Amino acid sequence: MDDREMTGASARRRRRFDGWTLLVWIAGGAVYLFLVVPVLVIILSAFSPNPYPEFPPTEFSLRWFREVFQSEPWMRAIGFSLWLMVIVTALTVALGTTAAYGISRLEFRGKQALLSFMLSPLMIPQVVMGIALLYLFTAMGIIRTMAGLVIGHILVSFPYVIRTVGVSLSNLDPKLERASMSLGAGPVQTFFRITLPLIRPGIVAGGVFSAVTSFGEVSISLFVVSPSNMTVPVRIFNYIDQTFDPSVNAISVLFIAVAVLALIIIERTIGLTKVM
Amino acid sequence: MARTNRTPGAESAGKYRRNLFSWVMLTPGLIFLGAFLAVPFLLLFVISFRDVDNWMNMLPTYSLNQYLEVFTSRFYLHMIWTTLWVAVATTVICIALAYPAAYLLVRAPNRTVRTALYVILVSPLLTSVVIRTFAWIVLLAQNGLVNEVLMKLALISEPLRLLWNLGAVIIAYVQVMLPFAVLPIATSMGEIDPRLRQASMSLGAGRLRTFWKVTLPLTIPGMMSGAIIVFSLAAGSYITPLLVGGRLQPLLPLAIYQQVLQVANLPLGAAMSITLLILVGVLVAGMGLILRRWEGRMHG
Amino acid sequence: MSQIVLRNISRRFGANWALKQVNLEVREGEFFSLLGPSGCGKTTLLNIIAGFLEPTTGEVYIGGRDITGLAPYRRDIGMVFQNYALFPHLNVFENVAYGLRIRKMKKAEIAARVERCLAAVRLEGFAERMPHQLSGGQQQRVAIARALATEPKVLLLDEPLSNLDAKLRKDMQTELRSLQRRVGITTILVTHDQEEALSLSDRIGILGDGELKQVGTPLEIYRRPANRFVAEFIGQVNLIEAQALPGADRPPGTLAFAARGHFAAPGEPLRLYAEEHPSLAGRESVLFMLRPERIRLSPEPPEGAAGVVELRIESVVYAGSAVRIAGVLPGGGELSALSSDPSFPVLPEPGGILYASWEPGDLIPIE
Repeated sequence: MDDREMTGASARRRRRFDGWTLLVWIAGGAVYLFLVVPVLVIILSAFSPNPYPEFPPTEFSLRWFREVFQSEPWMRAIGFSLWLMVIVTALTVALGTTAAYGISRLEFRGKQALLSFMLSPLMIPQVVMGIALLYLFTAMGIIRTMAGLVIGHILVSFPYVIRTVGVSLSNLDPKLERASMSLGAGPVQTFFRITLPLIRPGIVAGGVFSAVTSFGEVSISLFVVSPSNMTVPVRIFNYIDQTFDPSVNAISVLFIAVAVLALIIIERTIGLTKVM
Repeated sequence: MARTNRTPGAESAGKYRRNLFSWVMLTPGLIFLGAFLAVPFLLLFVISFRDVDNWMNMLPTYSLNQYLEVFTSRFYLHMIWTTLWVAVATTVICIALAYPAAYLLVRAPNRTVRTALYVILVSPLLTSVVIRTFAWIVLLAQNGLVNEVLMKLALISEPLRLLWNLGAVIIAYVQVMLPFAVLPIATSMGEIDPRLRQASMSLGAGRLRTFWKVTLPLTIPGMMSGAIIVFSLAAGSYITPLLVGGRLQPLLPLAIYQQVLQVANLPLGAAMSITLLILVGVLVAGMGLILRRWEGRMHG
Repeated sequence: MSQIVLRNISRRFGANWALKQVNLEVREGEFFSLLGPSGCGKTTLLNIIAGFLEPTTGEVYIGGRDITGLAPYRRDIGMVFQNYALFPHLNVFENVAYGLRIRKMKKAEIAARVERCLAAVRLEGFAERMPHQLSGGQQQRVAIARALATEPKVLLLDEPLSNLDAKLRKDMQTELRSLQRRVGITTILVTHDQEEALSLSDRIGILGDGELKQVGTPLEIYRRPANRFVAEFIGQVNLIEAQALPGADRPPGTLAFAARGHFAAPGEPLRLYAEEHPSLAGRESVLFMLRPERIRLSPEPPEGAAGVVELRIESVVYAGSAVRIAGVLPGGGELSALSSDPSFPVLPEPGGILYASWEPGDLIPIE
């Protein structure tokens, strides 16, 4: 054995074993497991033919998916939720993008307070927001209408767009806008020709968040929704509040699929790590 | 040529035009929030002072009766207390679990692992809270998975009553809200200059001590923003407690939901809502203050 | 006695060897610099000494003890980082006291020690400041005080001055050196700034491509570079390849050579006379180094010089204390010279002619 090999071997022997790092990795792994297990359980149950979940699963079946697709009320709810999602997303993106742009380009006293106000729907107890809107819509006469539902959903999706577009705007080099204006473009032209194309990733991410938020919203919807025109989450809520129906598993799998799709869109447009 | 040597007046006119445009852009959003966020809360505030008759009809008189009822009855005071400690417990557990999870995210050995962890973290945020809570019913019900597995392993002979208590509420809350704690802590952690940890070790501090004295204090901003979101969500949700805890849990959001939709005592519901709003607001503002103090200390 | 000994240190990252078989001994109380271009492995080597990286092969000894597998926090080293790495949540006092608190010293003792350390770096009265309230130079001094507070056996400096502006850097160099002398601590400085290394160090190790190319005093490194890499890396040089002319006429005590690529007239190689030196004995071809500042320039051919060559001026760069002149020989081949300011009352013009000469001892054979 030559000298070099020996020193290599002795260095390896002395390599220290790090107990703490190992412990943290085990703990972290357990936390991710805790996060993912309920989702896996739903997916497994959805593909099982039995009305009650079992573990480990014994058979594979699409029975509950068939039941969902053959059920007229479920399909109507899905259609309604999707329709609502499209309207809410379009309106929220338009309102949120313009507001985020306006506030980012202005300097005035109380700007920070105004920004907090714009983000506050994230933090206000949802039950409180629900009943406040219930009272208002009752007074306005739009309770249990599509309009009320749209307004409620915009309210909770709005902060996400403000945030994602705000991040894009603050990463934008202000010199680009100044360059455009020095070349003779006015503020409106500069916004549409320079700013808008450059903050598109933030807008897309905000749109995805609005869509997903609207599609899954239940806390406010419960207060303002009409019994004849229910969204999917409200219908699920009513179902599991009263009975146990495995077709909810199948519906849930559809929701998870939408979430994964949304993730893929975000990853493709700006990358996951940048949004959150 | 004229453009290059503009007079000061022309320049301020350009600035005025830009500012005007920005205000025009901001206005629709502000009007919307004013009409559907500020106005309803004013309305809620006003209604909370109205009186009701025995059939829960609103009377045109104003008084503090609703607040007196909330703050003098043992029932409601106990409820406020329970709501707060459930929210605090949820927050503390979330933060504690968030650190190892954030560590894994920051130290993920490669992009694939990191993306996988991100998907696990973010996908619950994109799934409806009803569905996430429903998963816990499937797991914890009498004939649910946990009981089934425990029975199969012969650890228990009778199914345990895992649902319909505050423990179930907290477990479900933690799982639903954990990502809100992990993401900001991971961001804070990722921003720490690795040389600070090296400096600490070169001065003789081991890994554990370096965590307590360097990593933890430097992640306080992330920890506080995570805590603020988790706390306000846990103090204000009613869907999860209703589904896994049952209607009878002494939680304020639950009581508000029932007061309004079932008892239909609107002013009392409004007074309870304002109480909840102020409680959450005060605590969140307190945490925000700590956060700003700390950041002021570090960055001036 | 050697304080730090590196034996056969190699380090691989993936398929690349960042360090190859480095052997080095640093003496007690010595100020040693690791100098090299970026990516040469010098920071890797420092991190191995500090314990943040483990060598793929080889061992590290401090004070005779093998510490290769020891965690960084058990090595008793002080380290100063390029960006200072002050803890942003602790004030100056708490930063300096950090290592002392880890060692569970008594409160009064800590206070006294911190005060002494802050005085040593001339920062009395700054104890309550937060790092973000300090200038770059002040942060630098806190970092040094923090590293010295625990009275470590070894001080490691990772490009500590590169974030400071030029004037402040000069002041800090002087201060660092005198502080190191006073404390008498064995110090390793990693730097890519050759002037810094030359002016601060007792000895310098030149690293290139993961190998230690030369170890020596600043004088040795500058005046007698061991190889082409060191010659080209340290200062400006004219490198001239030459062929021995054994039978040729030559001044006493010298050897004669014919330069390759440098022509005194078209087709006539420049004749060089180098001092006799054991390393030149019997060599056919030699690489000579000629420092620009060794070349004398004059408007008329000087009397009695060993070799004089005509130089057509290509460029003149005035740098205050010195004038850098680059020119071409009549038959081809470039030469660059450095003269002090007073030697040219009127700056020469490009296109003009000057006469260059040097002493045989100025031609340094390398390799």
